[in-house]
Amino acid sequence: MTAVGDRTRALVAPASATVDRDARARVRADLVARLAPLVARLPPGDPVVVSLPLLRQARTRPETVAAPQEPFAWRPAFVRRSLGLAVVDACARGRFRTPLEAVGPVASEAVERWEESGWRTFHWEPWVAGLAPGARAVVLAEAVSWASSLWSSLDWSVFDALPQIGGADDQWVCPAPRTLRLKGRPELRVPLVPGAPADPSASVRGTVGLVSVSGGHPPKAWPEELAYLALVASLRSPSRPVPARVLGLWPDAGADRSVEIDEAALMRAAERVVATVAAVAEARRAVPA
Amino acid sequence: MTVMDIERPRVVPGPRQGWGPLPDGRRAPAMPPRPVVMPTRHHPRTGWEPLSGDALLQRLRITGRPRPEARPELARMLRVMLESGLERDGSASGGAATGPAVPATTPEGPPPLPVLVTKDRLTRILACEAHQVADGFGDRPFSLALACGSLIDVLFRQLVTVGSIGDPMEDGLAGLAVDDHQSDLRSWVEGLDGPEREELRAEVERQADGLRRRWPALDPAWLPRTQESLRVQYAGGAVELTARVDLVIGRPARDEGSVALVEVKSGSRRVEHRADLHLYALLEALRSPAPPFVVATYYSRTGELDVDPVTDELLVAAARRTAAGARRLVDLARGVEPDRRPGPLCGRCSILPDGVELAG
Repeated sequence: MTAVGDRTRALVAPASATVDRDARARVRADLVARLAPLVARLPPGDPVVVSLPLLRQARTRPETVAAPQEPFAWRPAFVRRSLGLAVVDACARGRFRTPLEAVGPVASEAVERWEESGWRTFHWEPWVAGLAPGARAVVLAEAVSWASSLWSSLDWSVFDALPQIGGADDQWVCPAPRTLRLKGRPELRVPLVPGAPADPSASVRGTVGLVSVSGGHPPKAWPEELAYLALVASLRSPSRPVPARVLGLWPDAGADRSVEIDEAALMRAAERVVATVAAVAEARRAVPA
Repeated sequence: MTVMDIERPRVVPGPRQGWGPLPDGRRAPAMPPRPVVMPTRHHPRTGWEPLSGDALLQRLRITGRPRPEARPELARMLRVMLESGLERDGSASGGAATGPAVPATTPEGPPPLPVLVTKDRLTRILACEAHQVADGFGDRPFSLALACGSLIDVLFRQLVTVGSIGDPMEDGLAGLAVDDHQSDLRSWVEGLDGPEREELRAEVERQADGLRRRWPALDPAWLPRTQESLRVQYAGGAVELTARVDLVIGRPARDEGSVALVEVKSGSRRVEHRADLHLYALLEALRSPAPPFVVATYYSRTGELDVDPVTDELLVAAARRTAAGARRLVDLARGVEPDRRPGPLCGRCSILPDGVELAG
């Protein structure tokens, strides 16, 4: 377990490697070439959306990747991340000292905004608005616990600039006959301290480190799973630098891991994507129509 | 980020004790404490009365012992104890097999699921393997006591998070309604007939009233969090220790223990509750740089607070007990026959007449 300050300083340290334009193009071309035939063999059905949870599911429980999904219904676990991130953001901006102080006002403000304008920042506002006090307290409690883990995992005074906390998912749609979308959802995008680029031809201006929070333990394949978030970010915005590193936090286990992103790391993550899509394709073919 | 440590009295702010600065360097004002009005209620026989307000917090804060320091070598030793507990020596499994007790991992294919060790599994497997095999690790049948416990858990969480409880039954049932794992229990409660439901309501209201009156508002700077999940794997992921703690107070440990773990129980005090706490302490010691400085059980029925300062001895004993239980659970998972030994509980065993034969 790294000390909080050391962990944070390591997160924002100058990039140790960069991925130049050619390398990036090679990764993309290789991924597209390997995914296209897999996707072409998919039986008709819902689009395939690859995410970090699916990557894990395909590795640990491949037989379940084609299982029909339960109809969506809101529950506290679905709110805790987005509300927790809003709470951490409010704390990082100095509005509140701690998640416990922030959670009530942040949730109430979101609900009030929705009631006044109809605008749903988080999508859960109508559900939370309709909850009885006891149920609402459970939602807030879940978010406090989640936010407290993230808030206390980093030394926020180390950041020169405020990280992007939450925000839109990174998404990339593979040019293939059937819809295949890669989705990355880092919790934080942290600007790095500017430093000398390892590759002078590459620009590191605006380079970020990503932070990912997960439940449970770091799995054996944590390097590829963390690098997956950088892969999606790099595919999504070719004009932006590839994230320099990804820090993974597993608060339940008190564990953290970090992976530096270079071409090899992206290639390994792409391997996992290909294996995951192959598992989905196989499972979907095995399901009787 | 520096936050106040719950062990240190607030009146003596120090470098690690005062209010933590905000990101911009300002200091935020203290939250006013929730007023606590406690009627004088003496125990009928002893004159004892439950702790409340600051006294309750002081009991958690002041353990009379130095706080445990962050010592990686202690955590390593505890891990070695757990792992060595799985090494097969023929003595702990009835000599049923030789070789490592840990299931072999396969290089190809999905990783095997770990053997889960929870407080309940540990207590039950150590009490009687044969009973455990016959009875399984399934959910306990619904009862008024179980329902009361679940409702009080929800209400305690509400009190810590939002600082108030409205109508206890209404709030408690609403809380259960959004928990997928509790929806059956909620249906069971709603299906209770009048007298039973009134009995449950009366007890929940009584205990909720005690929580309201005795538990002070927890300083947000202590990062109080509820239902925190603790997980530790060992033996290459073959065994997973897991717990969910009702209340964790204190910033995560850095150089020394700064966390208090509190379990809330709505029933009577039982001897195994202490062992549950020690398992929590072990888990926190293994996942964090330093052990918690204290673990405690709060009995909402009576207001009793059992407090255990965390020491090396406590952690070592917890590791020994956990290693023994985990070994038996791993053996059972591998299909090893349960050890059937007569014990003091056999006379009260509900399954014994139905076919479990005792050896010896």
